[in-house]
Amino acid sequence: MSETERKNEINRRQFLGNMLKTACGVGLVGLGLGAYSKRASTMPANYIRPPGALPEEDFLGACIRCGLCVRDCPYDILFLGEVGDEVATGTPYFIARTGPCEMCEDIPCVVACPTNALDHDLKDIEDSRMGLAVLIDQENCIAFHGLRCEVCFNVCPIRNRAISLDMQHNTRSGKHALFIPVVHSEACTGCGLCERACILEEAAIKVFPMHLAKGELGKHYRLGWKEKEKAGKALVTPDTEHRYNLPEGVRYDLQGEGLIIEGEAEETPFSSNPLDTLNSGFMDK
Amino acid sequence: MNICSLIVHTKPTHGAEVSKRLQRFQGVEVHGGTEDDKLIVTIEDEGESISPVSDTMNALRDVDGVVSTVLVYHYGGEESMEEMNREIN
Amino acid sequence: MKLTRREFIKSNAVAAAASVAGVTLPLSNATAADADDGIRWDKAACRYCGTGCSVLMGVKDDKVVASQGDPDAPVNKGLNCIKGYFLPKILYGEDRLTKPLLRKTNGKYDKNGKFEAVSWDEAFKTMAEKWIAARKAKGPKGVGMFGSGQWTVWEGYAAQKLLKAGFRSNSLEPNARHCMASAVGAFMRAFGIDEPMGCYDDLEHADVFVLWGANMAEMHPILWSRLTDTRLTKPGCEVHVLSTFEHRCYELADNGMIFEPQTDLAILNYIANYIIQNKAYNKEFIDKHVNFTKTPTDIGYGLRDNDPREKAAKNRAKGKLTKISFEEYAKSVEPYTLEYTSKLSKVPKDKLLRLAKAYADPNKKVSSYWTMGFNQHTRGVWVNGLCYNVHLLMGKISEPGNSPFSLTGQPSACGTAREVGTFTHRLPADLVTKKDAHCKFAEKTWKLPAGTIPRANGKTDGADQSDISGKPMGPTLIHAVAMHRALNDGKMNTFWVMCNNNMQAAANMNDESYPGWRNPDNFITVSDPYPTVSAQAADLILPTAMWIEKEGAYGNAERRTQFWRQQVAAPGEAKSDVWQVMEFSKYVKVKDVWPEDLIAKMPEYADKTLYDVLFANGQVDKFPVEQVTDSRGNKYDNDESADFGFYVQKGLFEEYRLFNTAEGIPKKGHEMADFDAYHKVRGMRWPVIDGKETLWRFREGYDPHVAKGEGVKFYGKPDGKANIITAPYEPAAEPPDKEYDLWLCTGRVLEHWHSGSMTRRVPELYRAVPDAVVYMHPKDAKKRRLRNGALAKLTTRRGEIVCKVDTKGRNKCPEGLIFVPWFDAGRLVNKLTLDQTDPLSKETDYKKCGVKVTRA
Repeated sequence: MSETERKNEINRRQFLGNMLKTACGVGLVGLGLGAYSKRASTMPANYIRPPGALPEEDFLGACIRCGLCVRDCPYDILFLGEVGDEVATGTPYFIARTGPCEMCEDIPCVVACPTNALDHDLKDIEDSRMGLAVLIDQENCIAFHGLRCEVCFNVCPIRNRAISLDMQHNTRSGKHALFIPVVHSEACTGCGLCERACILEEAAIKVFPMHLAKGELGKHYRLGWKEKEKAGKALVTPDTEHRYNLPEGVRYDLQGEGLIIEGEAEETPFSSNPLDTLNSGFMDK
Repeated sequence: MNICSLIVHTKPTHGAEVSKRLQRFQGVEVHGGTEDDKLIVTIEDEGESISPVSDTMNALRDVDGVVSTVLVYHYGGEESMEEMNREIN
Repeated sequence: MKLTRREFIKSNAVAAAASVAGVTLPLSNATAADADDGIRWDKAACRYCGTGCSVLMGVKDDKVVASQGDPDAPVNKGLNCIKGYFLPKILYGEDRLTKPLLRKTNGKYDKNGKFEAVSWDEAFKTMAEKWIAARKAKGPKGVGMFGSGQWTVWEGYAAQKLLKAGFRSNSLEPNARHCMASAVGAFMRAFGIDEPMGCYDDLEHADVFVLWGANMAEMHPILWSRLTDTRLTKPGCEVHVLSTFEHRCYELADNGMIFEPQTDLAILNYIANYIIQNKAYNKEFIDKHVNFTKTPTDIGYGLRDNDPREKAAKNRAKGKLTKISFEEYAKSVEPYTLEYTSKLSKVPKDKLLRLAKAYADPNKKVSSYWTMGFNQHTRGVWVNGLCYNVHLLMGKISEPGNSPFSLTGQPSACGTAREVGTFTHRLPADLVTKKDAHCKFAEKTWKLPAGTIPRANGKTDGADQSDISGKPMGPTLIHAVAMHRALNDGKMNTFWVMCNNNMQAAANMNDESYPGWRNPDNFITVSDPYPTVSAQAADLILPTAMWIEKEGAYGNAERRTQFWRQQVAAPGEAKSDVWQVMEFSKYVKVKDVWPEDLIAKMPEYADKTLYDVLFANGQVDKFPVEQVTDSRGNKYDNDESADFGFYVQKGLFEEYRLFNTAEGIPKKGHEMADFDAYHKVRGMRWPVIDGKETLWRFREGYDPHVAKGEGVKFYGKPDGKANIITAPYEPAAEPPDKEYDLWLCTGRVLEHWHSGSMTRRVPELYRAVPDAVVYMHPKDAKKRRLRNGALAKLTTRRGEIVCKVDTKGRNKCPEGLIFVPWFDAGRLVNKLTLDQTDPLSKETDYKKCGVKVTRA
């Protein structure tokens, strides 16, 4: 969000605030402003809590709105919610696009927190989960078109773990590769450095609060290959050796390629039997 | 200046009629939807001093035949009018 | 359809409401106007690196409003890197220079005055006065010009004529001296002709890629994309990466190796030794196509004469080759065993062995790529040559997939600096000022009296060349680093820096560059579109029309020459480099700079200006002004032609072509197509003969200069054979010691081009990578009580800078080495570097000096 956009955002809030004053009187609830009263507990998606923040409800209970984390942030990225703001008044947040968390190793904001609203057990900034980066717009992210950008990957402080590049063949150009950024939730702290660095006018990669960002697999379901990898062996008794009825020169590779025909001739327009060719007419071709 | 768009629901079959009434307001334009009785309306002002959008919106609510209004989009910039009327392509 | 911002926002508002309501609106209301209406699209070569991507620029109302990668360009197929994505924005930085600016006090030029806007006339008058005086007082080295591998072909050519023929000075150098000179030196020594034999198609044909000191992933992003694709799609393809620190290329590496700085020399000799010990070499190829030679050793480090390291060198700057036998060559590499090399280089044995085996496997096609790691090296010519040795031993050269390939950093390091020869010792098309005959050919072509061009040794036909200074010409060559020293010593008094930022780029700013430029005796002119560090240090600043604000031509790393038309007008009074060179030449008369005996050979030139004899010579001004149009009938301006009254670019190019294509040229092999042909194609790879381009040189069938039955012929050499040149490992000039205990290596990042004067003015690129940081190993940081993000002070024997520590970023340094990019004008890393060069190529080594890091 650029400086002007941010201003606009504020302007919008002021505007809606003004609206509310008059609207309530004339029953303009249809404008959707009825939700206003709930805003205190539902933040905009681009407002991110500082590192170590407890789950939102607990956080709101624990945070005493003292502002010490804001004061101690060496990069001045934290804001406090103001009256009429879409975040509980006096609680800290940052906006990744304009001021992401710089991931201080000593986490001064957490140290400053007098109440554990920012969890004092957070000792390694890489363990923090402020949110999760999501490559939300794959249509406009230029990496998906094969352009060599990778700025998000380059600036990510959890190098090659929070964002990795998936290299793929570019079928359109035929001779270039795509370098697709992939975010890994097990390492991403949600610091937002990638969102700030994204070179698009509106970032294609954005940090969202965890509950908005992440899908969840049905609790019952496991990914078989991962479970096997974890266990280091098959979870159930392995197959006995399979044997097959096969013609000569043909093998079957159960776990790999499947049917393998050895010495299979490359395809040509000709039959392997010369008589087929000799006996066919050529004038009518 | 502010630019808003709204959906104005009208009484059944009153779309066209309400549309005419709305357009008498300063800064209001109706862009379509008369046949669906859901009018697509924009309201503009040129800064808070001249007929603010919020006032116009309130006024629309009282127009005959209007059932409800829903604000969909709001743009509020601090650019000068000159800036707003600059050609961008 | 015209659209105001207000209307645009309103149309979005309407669309939003309509979509929520599920109402279909009449089309004109629901959609924003087609923003692409009325845009004129035309092709251009990308402004940045040597890859040479083609881009399409969309212009409306004389402004670039849109851009795209050129989908029909064979190099990039519509793709761009992140810098290319923002190309239009480099034209529209808010601080573009639009007027000449001269330092003045009380209305007069004053070295210590403040910059004031002046007219072009005043600027050139002041400059001419200084130049003529310096030329008379100090001889041919009293004046100097420092150009660029980012000059268009004709800009380099015009400057070449102005300096060498006009001012009769060989003090012309390009910034390519810092960048490609070692590659050139090695090409000339091994093959007798410059530039790679292969082309980018090798990227699809090789089985094995080896990167030697090239961070292709960041510096040649689109080529890296092609290499990666081959690695992904070709079974058995493998990638070996060697560098002194781990960079982005290691993400793809099958065999990534970190070696101790300077030991690349040993590693290459080990590979040669392995090939010989295992009798894997291609005997037939060697017998037919290769000579074995050795080069003098212990040659110094290109430092000042009084440096103890120079005094200790036995064969300072010597490079004459001596023929040896294959057996002698084999013996010379024998000491480079796996044991020894692994110990010296700190690369594990299995990795070295894997690399050697890849080269030695007769069934694998190997392409080697290198950039600044090889070239910016105090043994740069040697190390380039050692790589050729390996390829030549195996005969893996000059055919699809088998390519030793020197990648260029700049968009026209090849096309302008090398092919036009804007170096002190060169003339167009590989001719050299060392050879009397070459100079005479140039003089004849340029319609100038014999003896005009200064010979390297100042002698023609065995006699001294006379000079306007009254003294004999004397030796005339002066390379880039020596220019800064000469300015510092007051031996060179005027210096014109064009299309580069040498104050930021040259090594040892504190001891040499800055005191040289600010020496009160000197008058420094800088031509640039932006107020760079160089401009800040200048006395006169000339505002420059950049890139597509003029008609241009670039030559990329695979010998591809690409043209573009002028797309938009330059802001204010900014003028292109070619205009500046030609206009300035009007302010100098022949008799101001030529001695009487030379004028006597062509007395009709006496009262003429340099412009008259160099550019209004009936050849350059041969083509009348014409309306430039493309095949679709779109019209384009050409400001230079309008100003000078003839088709400037065409005239210059066609005269230049007499050097590489006319009958009876001294050196064949650089043939180019005519001017008009290039405007119709997305570049052609020379030699272009009968309209056909050449993909692989020196190989029958691919190269028209190799006759049927010859197979392979290295025709740059008289006997058609290439040189294998043995050279040993020798240590670096300033290895870490107790006090300066780390290696300092400098370089670039993907997001910024060179000194950042363009890319740091693109807000998005600046936001992505705002400042230079020092990449270092976490343990090295910890030892110095530093951690990621902390401020560190970097100190060398020459200066200090402060920057943030990065222990987690894209470059992972081994313990004992730090890496700092040089794009950042706020953290000038060249205050730290040592002005050491390869004594043969005179190219600066920015990769190795001792540095101390402490808490700031």
